[in-house]
Amino acid sequence: MLQIKRQNACINLPVVSRARTARALLLLSMCLGAAGPGLAAPASGAKAPASAAAVHGLTGTWNRYPQLDEGVDPKLPPPPAPVPPPPLKPEHKAQWDAQQKAVREADARGEPPFTDYVKCLPDGMPAMMLAMFPMEVLQTPGQVTIMQEAYNQVRRIYLNEKQIAIEDAEPGYWGHSVGHWEGDTLIVDTVGIKEAVRFRNVPHSDQMRIHERIHMLTPDFFEDQITVEDPVYLTGPWNFTYAYKRLPHYKMLEYVCDSNREYKDPKTGGTRLRIGDH
Amino acid sequence: MRQFIRACRRSLERGWVPLCGALALGASGLALAHHSFAMFDSAHQIKLAGTVKSFEWSNPHVYIELDAMTEDGTTKGYTVECANPGILNRIGWKFNMIKPGDKITVIIAPLKTGEPGGLLKQVTLPDGRVFANGAPAGKANIQ
Repeated sequence: MLQIKRQNACINLPVVSRARTARALLLLSMCLGAAGPGLAAPASGAKAPASAAAVHGLTGTWNRYPQLDEGVDPKLPPPPAPVPPPPLKPEHKAQWDAQQKAVREADARGEPPFTDYVKCLPDGMPAMMLAMFPMEVLQTPGQVTIMQEAYNQVRRIYLNEKQIAIEDAEPGYWGHSVGHWEGDTLIVDTVGIKEAVRFRNVPHSDQMRIHERIHMLTPDFFEDQITVEDPVYLTGPWNFTYAYKRLPHYKMLEYVCDSNREYKDPKTGGTRLRIGDH
Repeated sequence: MRQFIRACRRSLERGWVPLCGALALGASGLALAHHSFAMFDSAHQIKLAGTVKSFEWSNPHVYIELDAMTEDGTTKGYTVECANPGILNRIGWKFNMIKPGDKITVIIAPLKTGEPGGLLKQVTLPDGRVFANGAPAGKANIQ
């Protein structure tokens, strides 16, 4: 049985995986030897030598694990726990609870709310990391780029840079992210998410900060431990984790919403499907 | 969190892999699609045979406009919503595998409003090949 300590990255891999890891490291050292230090060189300010993960471990295509139609693979780490409810302050929690109830009731009536996502707006951070569709990660000097197939979403994480002051962060869908590697874990800090960009309908302020620990558990499996903090709306940190399995040889598809037939019913506010050829 | 992982491990040890997966997915709220499927009545699916008027391969959804045969011998236009090109590509669909004029059969979850449209569950092509509509849309529950 695979035993993994998530917090300290202590991985006890089976013999086969160890051999694969060793091969990967050997290959890596050969590549570095041939290509020179350019690819591996961290941006200025980093002291420790880059780990395999920090050089190229995340590069490639990934699927959220487990997929809807995929059983749990006993050879992989167990799936992360479900996302807990947000620790909203009591005044905001009452409103959120009422909203969630209204959504359930609208669904039961067959009138699901016409959300920004249905409107074809990208889900932004941190919702993008739930990776409804495949995700591609690219590691280049000084930057990690994460792309989500749904809505062609792109977020850029600038390595070894100081985060900007939260009041200087221009509000957007993916915000301003900086990161650095600690061993096999990429530590990311994100600010500047538009207040209208919401995960699970949870309100937030311009003071929201998203922390991530993107941690490679094996060369083909990583987790993103996400912590949302917002002193205005939350009583404390909101923690949840998503896991991803490598999707080898996948070629990302484009996604442009050029034919959205869903529209908002002016009477009910619910989602309707436009009928007929257009 | 620990309790969940323990329960999941126990179920794995006992061979209840799908159960563990279902729990993980159901509880973690993996996004199902571009929108909720609450508009469609998946419990009362219907089967339609007809001629393809158009096949639109686009995001956020792929659409089939179908002139379906009715019991009195006339035709009625139906709008059939499919998943998106990404999901469909990954289960073997091709952007040009359905063409105007094709005689096809579909099983759909009809719109709850009673309008002539629905969510595709299964399509049978002129050459007999059968395709589902991806995991989020779910399977046909009729033949």
